[in-house]
Amino acid sequence: MLEVTNLSKSFGSAQVLKQVSFKAQDGQILGLIGQNGAGKSTTFHSILNFIQFTGTISWNGQALTEKDYNIIGYLPEERSLMPKLTVQQQIRYLARLKGYQTADIDRQIPKWLERFAVKGDKKDKIKSLSKGNQQKIQLICTLLHQPKLIILDEPFSGLDPVNADLLKQAILEAKQAGATIIFSDHDMSNVEDLCDQVLMLKQGKVVLTGDLQAVREQFGRNRLFVKTDWSTERLAALPHVIQVALTRAGTYRLTLDTESAGPEIFTALTQGHYIQTFDQQPPTLDEIFRMKAGATDD
Amino acid sequence: MTKTGIVAGETYARQVKSWSFLILVLSPFLFILLSFGVGYLSASTSQARNTIAVVANDSNLRQEFIQSNTLQTTGKHATLPTAKQALQQNKIQGYLVLKTENNQIQVTYHGTKQLESSAKQALQQFVIQKQQHLNQQAANLTSRQLHQLNQLPQIQEKVEKGESTTDLAKLVSFWVLLFLMYFILVTYTSTTAQEIASEKGTKIMEIIFSSTTARKYFYGKMLGVFGVIVTQIAIYLVGGFALYGLAPHLAITKTLFQQYRDLIDQVLKNFFSVNLLYVLLGVVIFTILAALSGALVTRPEDATKAAQPALYLVMLGFFGALTLNKQAELLVVKILSYVPFLSSFFMPLRVIDGSVSGLEVLGSLIILVLSIAGLTYYVGGIYSGLMLQTDNVGFWKSFKRGIQIR
Repeated sequence: MLEVTNLSKSFGSAQVLKQVSFKAQDGQILGLIGQNGAGKSTTFHSILNFIQFTGTISWNGQALTEKDYNIIGYLPEERSLMPKLTVQQQIRYLARLKGYQTADIDRQIPKWLERFAVKGDKKDKIKSLSKGNQQKIQLICTLLHQPKLIILDEPFSGLDPVNADLLKQAILEAKQAGATIIFSDHDMSNVEDLCDQVLMLKQGKVVLTGDLQAVREQFGRNRLFVKTDWSTERLAALPHVIQVALTRAGTYRLTLDTESAGPEIFTALTQGHYIQTFDQQPPTLDEIFRMKAGATDD
Repeated sequence: MTKTGIVAGETYARQVKSWSFLILVLSPFLFILLSFGVGYLSASTSQARNTIAVVANDSNLRQEFIQSNTLQTTGKHATLPTAKQALQQNKIQGYLVLKTENNQIQVTYHGTKQLESSAKQALQQFVIQKQQHLNQQAANLTSRQLHQLNQLPQIQEKVEKGESTTDLAKLVSFWVLLFLMYFILVTYTSTTAQEIASEKGTKIMEIIFSSTTARKYFYGKMLGVFGVIVTQIAIYLVGGFALYGLAPHLAITKTLFQQYRDLIDQVLKNFFSVNLLYVLLGVVIFTILAALSGALVTRPEDATKAAQPALYLVMLGFFGALTLNKQAELLVVKILSYVPFLSSFFMPLRVIDGSVSGLEVLGSLIILVLSIAGLTYYVGGIYSGLMLQTDNVGFWKSFKRGIQIR
């Protein structure tokens, strides 16, 4: 288990992290969300000991030190490999730095290349691969040594849906193997698909934390999804409805001022009418994010 | 293997397997072989063209003249028509016609260019000697009279052997050492700074620093480069010894080697001394500085600029030593021979000059070694910050920000 307590970091006069605390459990995935500049990468850099900070970061109750490097798998935000090396040389080099033996690495390489459907040979130079395939090689370098703590900084950026699914599958397999996984993403659907826990930073401070479903529930089930032949105006005139929006699927999304108004609206809609859909939901993570971030520019 | 060892091995293998290293290592040998080859070929070709054919009515006189090596002659083209033809075909420089008529030797030279004055003198001397011989025979002199007549003045030249060679050896040693060091320094500072800057530009350092500490990585990197430098110098030494061993036996180098054997031996003696250690340590300290410069660059396209600070210092040492090479006793030279970075240029200058004591050399070496250790430790400590600081804010600000990160 990774435990971060009162993590703070300043660059000159700018305080980038303010008393950040959270826990990431073994076999669980923690989604770290926040706007650009919220402090996500700085949090990762602190865990990885790239930078000096105040507070404590511990792994299974012990301070995370150099001896723990071999259990970490890290995928940075900016993708990078050594262009002049071959695929095999690149994977070997980074895996050897993680304490893996060359013979073991060589045994693993074909399996991983197949698993991520990398187009090309292990003897190909990195620079000769497409951007997508280079990204896959980097993912292989992150996961091949079977790390116990996996830190992924925006891992889905630049991946097409097929490859994103491959990565999701790999992340879920690592979770099943008991790894502690933290990843950041700007696409809340990825976070909702994968995460058990969520942590939101805003200007270096934790503004939201906890189990994903519980976090959503704490905002109340004040979203109604209704499929009916009523007009927008008629729906907006209903009591406790503060907003009506028509989704692409032809479903109306009603925002209520209180969760308890649900049954009253159901009664009103169904009296003498047939409705195809009536679903009362808490806000999505995306909506929560926008609410908490207080802006929609991200 | 330790992580420092893995990084060192990777750095070493990558550089040694590169084309640039192969070219760097082979180029001096290729240059030497090419110079000798071209020299030998042009000498052989021009030798044939510069020969003189000899035509004579007295075959004994002709043979004597050819064997006397008075001029660069050829035994071919013994008749007038063949000699004329050879001259027309530009195969020879000219031909001599030797005639003995009425006890008098007549010599006529036909050629495309004039005989050199030394050749003319030698020819005259040979002919005068032969004419005297004919005269003496005609005069019927006694052997005592002949002996008296042949009496020659005695001229002696006494030169202290070695003194002039030693001066020349000092000069040659200094130039060879200086240019070799400059050549190696420029190569390694550029290569190292560019490699570090490129690594920083590709952002791979975050992945590497999640596997090992920046300090260990930096030490590994420097060890790898040090291994490459040692390999290069070792190849030069082995190659140099091989050339030294082969030179007396090869036709193209035999004469030259014999002629300059003393000089070569003294140059080698000057070179295989503490000066070699200065070359090695000089390259090491400049490589560390180059790594620091490389780590301050933020964009991959600026990688070529990365080596500039280190190169400026190399040039300062190079041109300084070049200017002051005959003034080893100057105070400024003495001071600079203790200053790290510059001591690698100025102390060898004093060592070759022979104006420095062993204790002074030891003092300068200790300062240099301590500086290398101190600089390595310091850069190792700030390396993570420098490599992770990627804002394009210029060298100085980049350095300040890099220090702040850690």
